[in-house]
Amino acid sequence: MSTTGIRVAALDDIPEGEGIAIDRAVTGTDDDIALLRDDDGTVWALNDTCTHETASLAEGWVEKGYVECPLHASRFCLRDGKVEGLPATRDAVAHRTEVRGGEVYLFPNEPPDAPPNGAAAS
Amino acid sequence: MTSSPELAGRLGRPTPTPFGPLSRPPELASTIDTSGLVDADGGLVDRAIFTDHQIYQQELRRVFAPSWLFLAHTDQFRRPGDFFGTYMGEDPVIVTMDRNRKIRAYLNSCRHRGARVCRADAGTTRNFTCTYHGWSYGLDGGLVSVPNKAGYPDGFDTADWGLVEVPLIDSHRGLIFGTWNPQAPSLSEALGTMAWYMDAMLDHDGSGTEVVGGVHKWVLDGNWKLAAEQFATDWYHVNMSHASALMLLSPEGKGPRDEIVHRSGRQYADPNGHGAGFPVHPRNRFDAQPVHQWFDYDAARARLGDARVEGPLTNGHATVFPNFSYLPVNGSVRVWHPKGPDRMEVWAWTLVDRSMPDDVKEAQRLYNLRTFGPSGVFEQDDGENWSEVQAISRGFVTNSVPLNYQMGLGSEREDGRYPGLTSELYSDSAGRAFYRRWQRLMNTPAWYEGDV
Repeated sequence: MSTTGIRVAALDDIPEGEGIAIDRAVTGTDDDIALLRDDDGTVWALNDTCTHETASLAEGWVEKGYVECPLHASRFCLRDGKVEGLPATRDAVAHRTEVRGGEVYLFPNEPPDAPPNGAAAS
Repeated sequence: MTSSPELAGRLGRPTPTPFGPLSRPPELASTIDTSGLVDADGGLVDRAIFTDHQIYQQELRRVFAPSWLFLAHTDQFRRPGDFFGTYMGEDPVIVTMDRNRKIRAYLNSCRHRGARVCRADAGTTRNFTCTYHGWSYGLDGGLVSVPNKAGYPDGFDTADWGLVEVPLIDSHRGLIFGTWNPQAPSLSEALGTMAWYMDAMLDHDGSGTEVVGGVHKWVLDGNWKLAAEQFATDWYHVNMSHASALMLLSPEGKGPRDEIVHRSGRQYADPNGHGAGFPVHPRNRFDAQPVHQWFDYDAARARLGDARVEGPLTNGHATVFPNFSYLPVNGSVRVWHPKGPDRMEVWAWTLVDRSMPDDVKEAQRLYNLRTFGPSGVFEQDDGENWSEVQAISRGFVTNSVPLNYQMGLGSEREDGRYPGLTSELYSDSAGRAFYRRWQRLMNTPAWYEGDV
């Protein structure tokens, strides 16, 4: 496991409410990784391919702690990848990210240290 | 099995899609000879064309499907994925900007079970996904996702099952038109001389037009042609139908001056069925005071010429055949969507010049809303007339009595100032041209009918 993470993007590369896909050749993971920027500005990372059908979550809609798949509207929690509704039934894999000095660092296969949606509010 | 466009044409289908051994019996599209229903030379029209269901079905096949139809304004599409849902005849279509920033239009109906793949009026999207079973289509119309695809046979190829695309899309000064007819003449050829009149509204100073807000939509009882022909040809109704509105807008409620009531002008009758009429006067002006004060009439004279500034620049009415109309004075453009022989939906946009300061745009928006918005003082008068005409037209005797379109019969001429054939301001000339064109299309096999 990397201790400093991989620098994968500049924060400004990712518009709020949208995502970009990082190629697996860069991340060394089984799947490409979607960097998803919530409408509060925070950045999260999930495996890019929807667990339902072949679709890129980086192309999805990012809002209020969730990403919605652009094809069939399954929703995944940005913080832990939990699926929130049909048609997908399997959770997405979440990865830890850090923003330092305007740069986004990815820690592939490390779980995010943030509490999941809902838990954060309590 | 994949078909060629030629094969689709022979079998009476307007778009090239796989149909295997399916074939439509001709009785499904039986044709009425309409030559006895319109006498464009003598100025007589049979009321059956406003009420008969079989004629209406034939209109959808032979008037709407082959014609260039207004879809949207280019200002409605600023980035890829922006879309707008509208109709071509009764066919629902999605107009969108693809990833290459090209404007395209698709039939809004899933190729699987036929539900709409876009249920929103307008917005931005990455895909059009059917909410029935989840077939999903890209901005290029291609079928990109089929849930449970493994259940289909080996010969199933998603390339055969993309959204049906409108084959021809073109625009004129921001107005986007489309046609299902792959063999249609170009848009500029179809508009012909009418473009000269349209540009009096669309090309004031080279900056172009933009859309104010969204689209007003309302439903009226009345055949779509009642509205389309009126906007093509009818200044005659203004002083009678709009008497109360004219009183309301006049200073101190005394009513408009004599020179406003007894206006003279020209009416253009286009061979393709378009029409425009307008009072002519050297001091013609925009009605909304802030627009009038801002507008540079001298610069417009240099750009458009005196004839347009003194005519179709300001007051007037126009229809681009078959169902797109506009009013230059307030920037109202509208489509009369057919909804059966007895009903139409009006979809109305407000256009303003890009170069207008915000307060002038706002003044024009309010003026249009007040006069020709859904509850505008003029629009209400017009809707009442069309619904009144329609409400009684199903009576057997009523329906059998022909209507009179004889005003200005034989008055059409080249006047040396306004291009094409023009008549007087008060005339049915463009109405006769409208129905002449309608009648010709109704009696002409469309491109997909082959040698019927």
